[in-house]
Amino acid sequence: MKAALDGLRVLDFTWVLAGPYATRILADFGAEVIKVGSRHIPGSDEDSRTGYFNTWNRNKLSVSLNLSKPEARDVALRLAGISDVVVENFTPRVMANWRLSYEQLKEIKPDLIMVSLSGMGHTGAWQNYVAFDATVQALSGLTYLTTFPGRPPLGVGCAHADHVAGLVAALALLEALEYRSETGEGQYIDISELEALTSLLEVAVLDFTANARDLAPEGNSNPDFAPCGVYRCQGDDRWCAISLSSEEEWQHFCGVLGYPAWTKDTRFATNSERVKHSTELDRLVEGWTINHTPEEVMNLLQGVGIACGVVSDAASLAEDPQLRERGFFTSVEHPVLGKVTFDTTPVKLSETPASFYRPAPSLGQDNDYVYGKLLGMTKKEIASFTEKGVF
Amino acid sequence: MKLALDGLRILDLADEKGMFCSRLLGDMGADVIKVEPPGGDPLRQRGPYLGEVPHPGRSLNFWHLNASKRGITLDIESDEGKEILKRLVVTADVVVETFPPGYLDKLGLSYHDLSKVNPRLILASITGFGQTGPRKNFHCDDLVASALGGQMYLSGERDTPPLKPYGQQSYHIASLFAAIGILLALLSRRFSGRGQYLDLSLVEATAAVTEHVNIRYHDEGVVAKRQGSLSWSGAFRAFPCRNGYIMLSLFRNWETLVEWLLSEGMEQDLKQEKWRHEETRRLNLGHIASVLERWTKIHSADELCQRGQLMGFPWAKVCSPKHVVSNPQLKERRFFTPLIHPELGKKITYAGAPYKFSKLSWRIFKPPLIGEHNDEIYQGELGLSAKKVHALASRGII
Repeated sequence: MKAALDGLRVLDFTWVLAGPYATRILADFGAEVIKVGSRHIPGSDEDSRTGYFNTWNRNKLSVSLNLSKPEARDVALRLAGISDVVVENFTPRVMANWRLSYEQLKEIKPDLIMVSLSGMGHTGAWQNYVAFDATVQALSGLTYLTTFPGRPPLGVGCAHADHVAGLVAALALLEALEYRSETGEGQYIDISELEALTSLLEVAVLDFTANARDLAPEGNSNPDFAPCGVYRCQGDDRWCAISLSSEEEWQHFCGVLGYPAWTKDTRFATNSERVKHSTELDRLVEGWTINHTPEEVMNLLQGVGIACGVVSDAASLAEDPQLRERGFFTSVEHPVLGKVTFDTTPVKLSETPASFYRPAPSLGQDNDYVYGKLLGMTKKEIASFTEKGVF
Repeated sequence: MKLALDGLRILDLADEKGMFCSRLLGDMGADVIKVEPPGGDPLRQRGPYLGEVPHPGRSLNFWHLNASKRGITLDIESDEGKEILKRLVVTADVVVETFPPGYLDKLGLSYHDLSKVNPRLILASITGFGQTGPRKNFHCDDLVASALGGQMYLSGERDTPPLKPYGQQSYHIASLFAAIGILLALLSRRFSGRGQYLDLSLVEATAAVTEHVNIRYHDEGVVAKRQGSLSWSGAFRAFPCRNGYIMLSLFRNWETLVEWLLSEGMEQDLKQEKWRHEETRRLNLGHIASVLERWTKIHSADELCQRGQLMGFPWAKVCSPKHVVSNPQLKERRFFTPLIHPELGKKITYAGAPYKFSKLSWRIFKPPLIGEHNDEIYQGELGLSAKKVHALASRGII
């Protein structure tokens, strides 16, 4: 069966994480994604030998193109002319300064779909704010809300906002493709990273707009059930997460612990009592978990139908038997780095699965194919442009 | 303006693990029918509530996940319920569900069964661990997914336990992946004429958004550890101000930053030549942070951010929900959207959808009350008589 995006060509001006994360999904499902970079433009010459670059850019092609040279713009227009989609995640002035805005590209390819992904969006007083994942998390409320009561704001320990933005951009693009399949029409899509992340935090927004309550951080606690939280286990910095969700589960939980006397305390007789006394309850639960490895706790509690998981670190993830069975990680052979291992995709489609057939490209690796075969340039023209620093 | 997914019909049988998937598609114009058990989905029994009044029509979590959907009630475990579901499947493009693996099979409602009824059907299943593998029958929620997905270990401080991000992130991320998968299936259905099955796991979805974690392990054997608000590369950290906190970058425009501190006599030893080297700063973050903290503490977060952005520093205030709702950029872009809740006689302001298409719009409408569209769908669309619908309701089928 054909790949889901077989025949789709994407001209990819994205860099770092958010943009490449979106175009990566397209490449994984069969689109021909052509990354445009340049040795001569700072930031556009990402080191293709890093694990970071290789993870976000597998399955993609690369051409080198120096857009500060006048001849380069024509080449870019010709590339847009043979593409279905253009994606970029620069600040708003960049593509405009290169005269590669949607209005201009649309002249060449009327049904083109162009996606601009930026921190604050392409309109509004803040459009030119320099924004990174950390600042988007801060502005969205996620940093403030992700901490323990009484502690400074902590946030998520990785670039969560960039991932969310990439997913939202990919979804929007696929919706525009579906619309184009129906109508033949392309269009422009403006995605703000801040809006993408904030839309996931709508419950906190509603609590303020509807209840005038400025939600305070709650750490790992659950106002509805107990015991529910993160508990220290045997070993160095080893923890498990336990989430009970019914009275029946509490009975099974007590059984696993061997019905210690404290479980019969009236303070823990019902769920609402347990929630009220959760601090004391958590201390007692941890008195049990501390004598077991997180794997033991997980298997014992899952064995009686209670949601429980090891707090996995990177080493645990790499050895996780469920992830292994599901084929979550895979490797490809890279010409310089040797074997490169990366995550695949959680999207498991039965008829049009993803495939991982190509390591991330080095800069300009596909110049001959793209400029020669796709655009029809001669070897002489390509050599001349290369010599002049246009490629 | 048109709606991207006008004409697409989705049956949503998901619980809170996957409800956001069809919310995303509903906002873009799909006709989403939320199928709840008679009496309503259990999520309606969880807060926070409007006005802190526990009521199945006032759960903010339910609202967020189920805006832009119509609502029916149906007991799919009953024989008649199964038949009704199959009738609905005939005209559906997509079904989204989050039942434990094997549950729908036992009811005769597996993908295999339903695709016989409608070969063009796309069935998306979101579960904790997926449909296969040694842990497929494990129980899961957002806390457990964040733990096993390698995300929780990264957040918190060295002297605190690991910390789960706020806001059921694993449910949202898995739902985003599911929506993407559904669109991929719709696109490929155009050339194959057939639907397909989508199998998604919360744990995998979470592990897929841990940025540097797997990379640094496979590349360098490094196991990433939590370090408070300091980003893994050391580039950003939260600093306390007179009121609240600011997210400061520690590596950009260093000389300009030192000049600013100098102009206020707060620079201490940072003017020294050695601090101009990024690597030196990286190795002595504790010292840099303590000098900067003395300075930030005497300023307001707003003042530092406004001046900072003008000077090209990528700084931002650490906003609470109150600040988020009054963010001028979000307001200018008309991100927040008031929805009418006629049953309350009120307009409630929701977040909006995060896309601006030149030719398409999104439209969000209020979430359904329990069984709000039973008549409209059972009588109006399936052609059941009012008497029949009443009988089904009295027997607890709907």
